[in-house]
Amino acid sequence: MTPISRRASGRALARGLAIAVAAIVVMLALDGAVHAVMAQNPFGAPRPAEPQASGIVGWLLSKQSEFYREMSATIRAAKSDGSAVWTLLAISFAYGIFHAAGPGHGKAVISSYVVANQETARRGIVLAFASALMQSLVAVMIVAVCAWLLNATARTMCGAEKAIEIASYALIAAFGARLVWTKGGGFMRALQARPQALAVAAHPHDHGHDHPHDDHGHDHHDHVHADDHVHDEHCGHSHGPEPAELAGTGGWRRGFGAIFAVGIRPCSGAILVLVFALAQGLFWAGIAATFVMGLGTAITVATIAVIAVSAKDLARRLSSGSEGGGALVMRGLEFSAAGLVLLFGVGLLFGYIAAERATCL
Amino acid sequence: MTGALHRWLGLLLLAGALALGSAAAQAHPHVWITSASELIYAPDGALTGVRHAWTFDDMFSTYAVQGLESKTKGAYSREELASLAQTNVESLKEFAYFTFAKADGKKAKFQEPVDYYLEYRDGLLTLYFTLPLKAPVKAKELSLEVFDPSFFIDFKLADKEPIKLVGAPAACRMTLHRPNDGAASAQKLDEQTFMGGDNSNFGAMFANKIMVECP
Repeated sequence: MTPISRRASGRALARGLAIAVAAIVVMLALDGAVHAVMAQNPFGAPRPAEPQASGIVGWLLSKQSEFYREMSATIRAAKSDGSAVWTLLAISFAYGIFHAAGPGHGKAVISSYVVANQETARRGIVLAFASALMQSLVAVMIVAVCAWLLNATARTMCGAEKAIEIASYALIAAFGARLVWTKGGGFMRALQARPQALAVAAHPHDHGHDHPHDDHGHDHHDHVHADDHVHDEHCGHSHGPEPAELAGTGGWRRGFGAIFAVGIRPCSGAILVLVFALAQGLFWAGIAATFVMGLGTAITVATIAVIAVSAKDLARRLSSGSEGGGALVMRGLEFSAAGLVLLFGVGLLFGYIAAERATCL
Repeated sequence: MTGALHRWLGLLLLAGALALGSAAAQAHPHVWITSASELIYAPDGALTGVRHAWTFDDMFSTYAVQGLESKTKGAYSREELASLAQTNVESLKEFAYFTFAKADGKKAKFQEPVDYYLEYRDGLLTLYFTLPLKAPVKAKELSLEVFDPSFFIDFKLADKEPIKLVGAPAACRMTLHRPNDGAASAQKLDEQTFMGGDNSNFGAMFANKIMVECP
């Protein structure tokens, strides 16, 4: 390989990096924008010089907080009119979808996890649904045990909520630390492999003969292809962990970690709805509402997780053309996603990041 | 190589900052409070404190009385609610009672609440409490804001008599800024926005601002 193609690959690497980072920034900005729009619009809040969103979405956005307030009226109505339960479920579902944009529903953790851990979109969806289901279950359990069985006061329940909250943040931090530990190794190896990889690229014939993939082809005259396969992590240079390590049973166990860390923390809104329903003698309606809310939440979190996976796939495709850089970009991306989980956990634990407060007043 | 790495790290920091920034703006309320307040003046015309009457929404009211003992089902006397009122004012301390006053641009500090109690009427809880000022102030221009910076609680001024001046000098004039009359948006970047350090002062946009001018 000539110095010219080496320079070209350097440019490709820079381009890959820029595109990958751009993808992340766009995703986060989008996320932030959605939050800003949602948060700005609880009934008649000021939105100077901003056009109202139109259509069904706009209506849903502007009604977000009202949905929640309507729940109490609907639960009351359900006491005499059973059909109001359907209204309650519809409101809960819509509320869950939009509410998940708020803090405390694991968007950040689940999305970062799927990016860090080379997960598929399908697993992102499964994780989102499983964690939302667990959140609903925990909320129902807390209210069933504390309020229904023990007739405990709000103060006791809020104490339980706070304890669980701290446990959840600590779990997220620990989970993030573990991801950083595993991903850090891959990233460092990719960094060190970089100069080596350039040397390798100059002599593609010396390498790659032991890799298990037959479908790569061995057209050593095609530089682009040769680069691609030399730097693919499958090729026996053992930069970073093998995919099998990640998607195997161990991977599922780590997936369980994500579900647990996120799902253990119930939503304050669900607890309020459950206690209210219990007081109205319609606990079952509250439970149904909580699970439907969780379904809505899962849809939002799953969507964001899928966007995260797609963004990463895009980054992979765009950076795979550059020699060595492809692996480096991907390991870097995974490492930063792992770091983000750790930062979130620590930030939540020490109160740097505003989370949904437990209902303690 | 190191250049690219630095660029990468720089952009990463930017992305992180964006993520944290968006976290600040994503809260939305779970508790609603309708607030009515009295500004209490001493005979010499100095403001001595603020007396709040905060009515919670029905869902939170139900949640708050959960598990409390009462003689009559569905009714709670002031005495039966006494320990809850105690809990309320104690937990409100952490949030500076959501009450932020400035006398001629200077922050006025409050003491711990006195004369606090809860009333339960038509399924709604109302918390009454008085916040005495650490030092009574005579101010030409006094501003009082009632809001939750993290916007977990949505404060709304009562429709009827949201603010009363009790014993104020006759020349004092009061103006109200409700968050939905457009006046509040002007204050969203004031000093409040940057204090507190927990980047969660989003609720300031929804603040209820009361101005009292005593020339």
